[in-house]
Amino acid sequence: MNAKALLLCLLVSPLAALAQAPVIQISGANFRPLPLALSTPLVQGTESKATTQPVDDALLFDLRASGLFQVLDRASFLADAKEGMTAGSINFSRWADVGAESLVKYSLARDGSELKAEARVFNVGNGREEFKTAQSAPATQPSLLAHKVADAIYRYYTREPSPFLSSITYVRKSGKNKDVWVADWDGRNARQMTSGGINVLPALGPDGVVGYTSYQEGKPDLYVQKGAGLTRLKTNEGQMATGIAFSPDGKRVAYALADGESAQIWVANTEGGGARQLTDTRFGINTSPAWSPDGKRIAFVSNRGGSPQVYVMAADGSGVRRLTFQGNYNQTPSWSPRGDLIAFTARDERNAFDLFTVQVDSGKISRLTQDQGDNEEPSFSPNGRLLIFTSKRAGASQLFVMTAEGNNQMPLPSPKDKAEITTPDWGR
Amino acid sequence: MGMGSNRGGSGRVTMSEINVTPMVDVMLVLLIIFMVTAPLIQQGVKVNLPEARAAAVEASDKKLVLSIDAQKRIYIGEAEVPAAELETKLASNAKAQADKELYLHADRDVPYGVVVDVMAAAQRAGITNVGMITDPTTAARAPSSTKGKKEARR
Repeated sequence: MNAKALLLCLLVSPLAALAQAPVIQISGANFRPLPLALSTPLVQGTESKATTQPVDDALLFDLRASGLFQVLDRASFLADAKEGMTAGSINFSRWADVGAESLVKYSLARDGSELKAEARVFNVGNGREEFKTAQSAPATQPSLLAHKVADAIYRYYTREPSPFLSSITYVRKSGKNKDVWVADWDGRNARQMTSGGINVLPALGPDGVVGYTSYQEGKPDLYVQKGAGLTRLKTNEGQMATGIAFSPDGKRVAYALADGESAQIWVANTEGGGARQLTDTRFGINTSPAWSPDGKRIAFVSNRGGSPQVYVMAADGSGVRRLTFQGNYNQTPSWSPRGDLIAFTARDERNAFDLFTVQVDSGKISRLTQDQGDNEEPSFSPNGRLLIFTSKRAGASQLFVMTAEGNNQMPLPSPKDKAEITTPDWGR
Repeated sequence: MGMGSNRGGSGRVTMSEINVTPMVDVMLVLLIIFMVTAPLIQQGVKVNLPEARAAAVEASDKKLVLSIDAQKRIYIGEAEVPAAELETKLASNAKAQADKELYLHADRDVPYGVVVDVMAAAQRAGITNVGMITDPTTAARAPSSTKGKKEARR
């Protein structure tokens, strides 16, 4: 639509024009990332300059990683550095000349202990301001402010919540210790949850609850940390409990309980009470439970067919169905919050680990990674559009993010010591 | 050439380095250059376009226009860009990189060397098609101009 036609449309029917505001087609054959220019922030006052860089870094990362935008290289920009934030002060032809279709201008200012941002989204084609948002965060949390701004932009373009305000958990190796950490979705603002020993397979539940498997009493047991309170789940004594997974409503947990040669999937409440065994294969191993978004089904890994494969069953253990048939080693399922897909790790004929998704209804498999070192342990974002995973493509195992179709693979900002990071879980 | 100094000596013939100059010429020739008619191009700064009677293709107003004015100032669209930054600006420009094409809108009085420098920068930035914008209307009148008469007499 050219500018004249749009103007006519606006004059004739303002409501119709609003209804036609752009919604990015997120996936599918017609998807094309929107060329977007994020201007450097206009800094108001001197105090906020020190926090400008972290906000800008996090905002650029969110927009790039979203997979929705082709975030344009600032080295190409032609606009006057002193250009303002209102449509009248912007020379749109200079933004069109760098290929931008969307322009985001934003400013930062300090207000006492608060950091404030104002962002405006312009349509470069017709020179109109389409959307604006004002956000604030404590000055000590510049990346939180960036996530709020990015979330507002994402919602404007998709009418969907973004994953930018969510958290992840993972295990970080340090010497002989393995500890559970919780961080913002992009790995920034990381907090250590355990202090030494072997703590593995963490999971995030609703309201910031963290569960994990710890060897602090010599054998693996399940722990749940809620605020400052830490509880050990009362699982069957003497057995090895691993791999806690919170149900979407946060009221139940699934886990694997191993005794000698077999491991079975159990479900209990979050204190460990009312435990119920779901699988019963005498010598088989059943492990890695993952809940469906409605809490009615559980995906898990079982070697009952001879090799580890992904299976699905009802949350009461009935109706077990094998979902993957390709390859001889499929593991670590993560059920998409949209319900349709399960992502998993598969070892291929060259002994490389790569990521795939399988459609729960049809069993159709899609490959997401290839020829980029070992890629493992996928976990879906809360909106099901992105996947976090670990990759050894650059050496030690590090966190990466990509779209659910396997596009736009990017490393998360890694810790300075390049510590090995494994088993991420993206909170809902 | 490097080979000459060894002739008649120990009998060994050493070629220490390849003369790269002809290769650079070949690389520049690999640019696809075509003529573009001016009237459709409303972008960029005002320059006195050279006249040409070559067959011209129709221009698309969506392509990036690179201008060089009579003072040898370089512009992308209407934004002036220092010559030293031109390659970076073009290499990072999503529009230029998507099309691999731009239109060169150079004043007739700009020395050939400046135009070649700009074309070489564009080529290094990965742009393979350069459209030379000319003025077809004056080209039609060209034989009657003083310059045309002088050239005709020679």
